Amino acid sequence: MSELSTNHVIGIKDLTAEDIHLIFETAENFKEVINRPIKKVPSLRDITVANLFFENSTRTRISFELAEKRLSADVVNFSASSSSVKKGETLLDTVNNILSMKVDMVVMRHPAPGAPKYLSQLIDANVINAGDGTHEHPTQALLDAFSMREQLGDLTGKKIAIFGDILHSRVALSNIFCLQKLGAYVKVCGPPTLIPKYIHRLGVGVEYDVRKTLEWCDVANILRIQLERQDIKYFPSLREYSQYFGINKKLLDSLDKEIVIMHPGPINRGVEITSDVADSEHSIILQQVENGVAVRMAILFLLAAKR
Amino acid sequence: MLTKNSSFLFDKPAHLLPLPEIPFLPMQLLIKKATVIHPYSAFDGEQVDIFIDNGTIKSIGKRVSGFDNDRVQVIDYEGLCISSGWLDIGAQVGDPGFEYREDLESAATAGMTGGYTGLAIQPNSNPTVHSKSEVLYLKKTTQELLVDFYPIGAVSENCEGKEITEMYDMNAFGTVAFSDGKKSIQDDGFMMRSLQYVKVFDGLIINHPHKKEVAFGGQMHEGMTSTSMGLKGIPNIAEELMLQRDLYLAEYTNSRLLASNISTAGAVDMIRNAKRRGIKVTASVPAMNLIFEDTDLINFDTNLKVWPPLREELDIRALKKGLAEGIIDFISSNHNPFNKEEKELEFLYAKFGAIGLETAYSAANTALMDELKLNELVEKFAIRPREILKLDVPKIEKGAKANLTLFHPKEEWVFSESDIKSKSRNSPFIGKKMVGKVIGVINNNQFWSNSSE
Repeated sequence: MSELSTNHVIGIKDLTAEDIHLIFETAENFKEVINRPIKKVPSLRDITVANLFFENSTRTRISFELAEKRLSADVVNFSASSSSVKKGETLLDTVNNILSMKVDMVVMRHPAPGAPKYLSQLIDANVINAGDGTHEHPTQALLDAFSMREQLGDLTGKKIAIFGDILHSRVALSNIFCLQKLGAYVKVCGPPTLIPKYIHRLGVGVEYDVRKTLEWCDVANILRIQLERQDIKYFPSLREYSQYFGINKKLLDSLDKEIVIMHPGPINRGVEITSDVADSEHSIILQQVENGVAVRMAILFLLAAKR
Repeated sequence: MLTKNSSFLFDKPAHLLPLPEIPFLPMQLLIKKATVIHPYSAFDGEQVDIFIDNGTIKSIGKRVSGFDNDRVQVIDYEGLCISSGWLDIGAQVGDPGFEYREDLESAATAGMTGGYTGLAIQPNSNPTVHSKSEVLYLKKTTQELLVDFYPIGAVSENCEGKEITEMYDMNAFGTVAFSDGKKSIQDDGFMMRSLQYVKVFDGLIINHPHKKEVAFGGQMHEGMTSTSMGLKGIPNIAEELMLQRDLYLAEYTNSRLLASNISTAGAVDMIRNAKRRGIKVTASVPAMNLIFEDTDLINFDTNLKVWPPLREELDIRALKKGLAEGIIDFISSNHNPFNKEEKELEFLYAKFGAIGLETAYSAANTALMDELKLNELVEKFAIRPREILKLDVPKIEKGAKANLTLFHPKEEWVFSESDIKSKSRNSPFIGKKMVGKVIGVINNNQFWSNSSE
């Protein structure tokens, strides 16, 4: 199979394991491309991509924009705070306006779960989800798994732990779906108030003890504490959180094993992860960023090929 | 327009006939070979002809007489069943204040389409129904209609759950029960005093159990599906915690409570136990919660974003069993109209609710085919709601006022957008195949027939 089974990348839920492997193979090629002196290829010439960001984002937006430009696509950017959109124009109207300008692909970030799905049912352009509320963030999960593969090879049977605010995290959910499709075991760890009650029904282990989880895992994917997404208090203070759920060098050194450290960024240094861990040799946080561009190029390329 | 009695009428089912301007006032109506489903009728289970003249049943039996062949409109529909007119408790209308969603007339039309001749409607209009004047407005505006409207008064001013309303006065002017409708009563003390106060006229308090703080931010039933969709869940206990409180308070005050629109297996057990203990409680379940489950939401269809949320198979099984055992007294339409701008949105921003008047019977009949006998199901639409509101159950006998619902319990059909008579179109049933169809309703000397245009 040399093409994706879907016309949109809304969630890992909708992708097959074959899709994921195809994206990885393609991303490997693009990773080689972006390390050349001339980083640009003409694959998406004459294709117009709209980056619609209804929620703040720096790194994801830049990563997508870079990926689009390295593929020679024409790029338009739209950012709006969700509140101003909510007051006036509906999402559908906004997007239809942009599509009237003949856009072929839409990369969208939106605070409402399901928004890209809703959109994909109404417009002709290919839709790529750059994060929809607390639902999915498929490109992040793919770049995370791609980065893990670089470290560990085949992920079948590997043990991946996700730490932090699982309740408000689209990264966690997409990671879970992606890693399971690749045959890995997944555990989540964090304060019980930040772990959805029924997450175990997705086939995920649940653990509240950080040390025990670290002893179990090969990879620790540490999530940002999303204070901006917590509408009520789920834990008492950042101080207590960092002491009991944060990951520091001392804790890692006390284990007699090496663990790959990942973080989707942006990091709250000293909260969920200390600087000496984030900057340590076991951390692949910056490789994740580099791989992000390659993986997004692969997705854009594969979707464009279906047009 | 109206063809007078002729052989032509006998050749085609009534719903295929060209229909007059509706609602239509027939001078004479002859219903042929209808099976009566009515526990208190001498003709229960029998196939009879019924002759109606000037809104009254003039003759009923194997052979009827007295009609004028030139004037009578004949309804002859293979497999037709007939029961006393159905009544729904708890439909949202929106008149006054939200007429763009539904006004009283459109609600009546949607109701007639669904087989209802009576609607007890929620007080959540703007202003809310919290004094005599709103009650009178509703009564006056609807007095010419086929459908009888029974206002439910608000328990608290503006349905805010704080200041108790003049319930005694409203009761004197025609409310049938009291509720804050879609605003569940959160405050324990307020609920207790409300239950106590209505005892003076043996009133009924209706509360949908839903504890706001427990369901905080919830968008759908909490379970594996909500987790995988990244949506905050409304756990079963958000309903059960409040229901338990309401049952304690109903027992303590010895007052009458209708736990409306329950949706969980736990709630069914609690009602069962409460009834055994002799607590004066009755309960309803929305028809849509019997046929859809949480997994149906996987594509973020906002028409399935309803309240109470669609639960899991286990809950649905318990609800059906509860109905079969008579633990749950009746099936509600949970009619909740919203216009396009309020529903065709990102899931997070869409309002909770779906219209249900047109589809409640067909949905329930489809869902409960294995659990309930024909007469048991009809009781949940025709008899129990009226008994709970202490309204007379219309009789099917000579000399009685004709207040009837005509339906075909075995007819298969697909609900389409053109079947919607509500002003709003937020129905999850569009395109759904269902068994059991309403043919028409008769009340107040008017006849409504569901024609298939």
